[in-house]
Amino acid sequence: MLTEQSAYTNRWRQISPVAKGFVSICGMVAAFAAGSPRTALLVALILSLATVLGANIPPVRYLRVAAPALFFLLASGLSLLASLDFSYNSTFGLSLHLAESELPRIFQVCCRSLACLTALLFLALTTPLTDIISLMRRCKLPETLLDLMTLSYRTLFVLSEAVHETVTAQSARLGYASLTLSLRSLGGLVANLAVQVWQRSQALHLAALARGNDGALRFLEPDYPDSPRAISCAVISGVLLVVLAVYLP
Amino acid sequence: MTDFILSLKDVSYRYPDGTSALNDCSLTIRRGMRTAVLGANGAGKTTMFLHLNGILRSSTGHVRWEETPLDYSRDGMRKLRSRVGLVFQNPDSQLFSASVREDVSFGPMNLGLPKKIVRERVEKALLAVGMAESADKPVHNLSYGQKKRVCIAGVLAMRPEVLVLDEPMAGLDAAMQEELTVVLEHLHAAGMTIIIATHDLDFAYGWADEAIVLQRGRLLAQGNVAEVLLKPDVQTELGSSPIVAEITSSLALTGMAVRVNGYLPRSRSELLKAISEFHRQENEQ
Repeated sequence: MLTEQSAYTNRWRQISPVAKGFVSICGMVAAFAAGSPRTALLVALILSLATVLGANIPPVRYLRVAAPALFFLLASGLSLLASLDFSYNSTFGLSLHLAESELPRIFQVCCRSLACLTALLFLALTTPLTDIISLMRRCKLPETLLDLMTLSYRTLFVLSEAVHETVTAQSARLGYASLTLSLRSLGGLVANLAVQVWQRSQALHLAALARGNDGALRFLEPDYPDSPRAISCAVISGVLLVVLAVYLP
Repeated sequence: MTDFILSLKDVSYRYPDGTSALNDCSLTIRRGMRTAVLGANGAGKTTMFLHLNGILRSSTGHVRWEETPLDYSRDGMRKLRSRVGLVFQNPDSQLFSASVREDVSFGPMNLGLPKKIVRERVEKALLAVGMAESADKPVHNLSYGQKKRVCIAGVLAMRPEVLVLDEPMAGLDAAMQEELTVVLEHLHAAGMTIIIATHDLDFAYGWADEAIVLQRGRLLAQGNVAEVLLKPDVQTELGSSPIVAEITSSLALTGMAVRVNGYLPRSRSELLKAISEFHRQENEQ
């Protein structure tokens, strides 16, 4: 929901998604092109500063949105670093082994991932998902994938509301008063949701038929003014970012 | 041009689970009229609506558009569904996209119209329901009433001749009901045939021209709303009668024959106006 909030209220909301998407992709290219961890970190820094200062996203919110991804990055970095050793010469036949020689490469991978993350956040925090989907539609991505994205995104909110209502109703009747009761209520919630998902999919199907649908979901793309200024700004900054990543040692 | 735009003749429908929803139901919808469909829960209102739009097909009997039975081929359905717009009761189960504009464009895009025309229709439909200013908001941040209006806009953008609404007033507060009534009034004035399923007798009495009362899948009564709602068997079936009609007849018993422009008052505001008019005339004499 934090991402949602930013996507709809940031300073760059009305700027063409094409421009923002281009910068984001350039950011990812730059992340892969970066020859050293230092360069990748610089790319990450530039992109995050652009998001926070340019699109006016509060830094604390930015960190909160990034936190889960950063946690996973840290966890996978550590798991790459440590490896289990099944050699016979250790005491229990099993030992934890630190791949010290791999440290520079692991650091490089982590820095690149971090730069990719900031590039993705640049787009996610400045552009509502509906705009991103229609941008993908413009890029002629497979219809089925986009239909699934559209429906899942909408259903996410419908179901989260249903979960909230069911949990409230269960709590009102002491459904979560003890551990046993909680487990039971949770089971009830899951069963109830399964039925609701089925019923809602039926209802959506009927609604689609009623509105003359016979297959693929078709929507009108939002009409953003692809202002030459925004596009040229995006092209210049995106290309500069890639050039920077390629030529910096 | 015939007077009847849609009609059901001896239509029966049984759901796959065995529930019989319509039983030899015959009724007619008159062109350009405001029709209220009343009946207890399970009387078959929603099932009847799904027949009007061709989503359900009866096992016996037939549904007609003017004089011709419905054509259930792909093209026939596309034509029918562009003519008969159906708005369901729960807005959350019919909004597809999280973007208001995109959702409203869904119907006209299905009709295969050029994008320029779709864009025009979407803006006009949003304007007609008073949602033009919220068009850039995500659907999940809208209020219940606003979602409902987006649903109506989604159907209006298909430019139907008949607008069918399943309990549009349910869950709306008084102010939102009033706003929706104004929207419906504009559509009616523009010549649209409007059919509404409702449990609100007072609303039906004040708003509709015609009333259809269903009882366990059959037609119990049909005709002028003022006549139908005052029939004793209808009152027994619906469990009550419009409060304005009750007050008017109680007043008549006390010798106060209140009228607005010579007619019986049909809504609260008309009743109040009729009473003050009655007192003014009394004082003049």
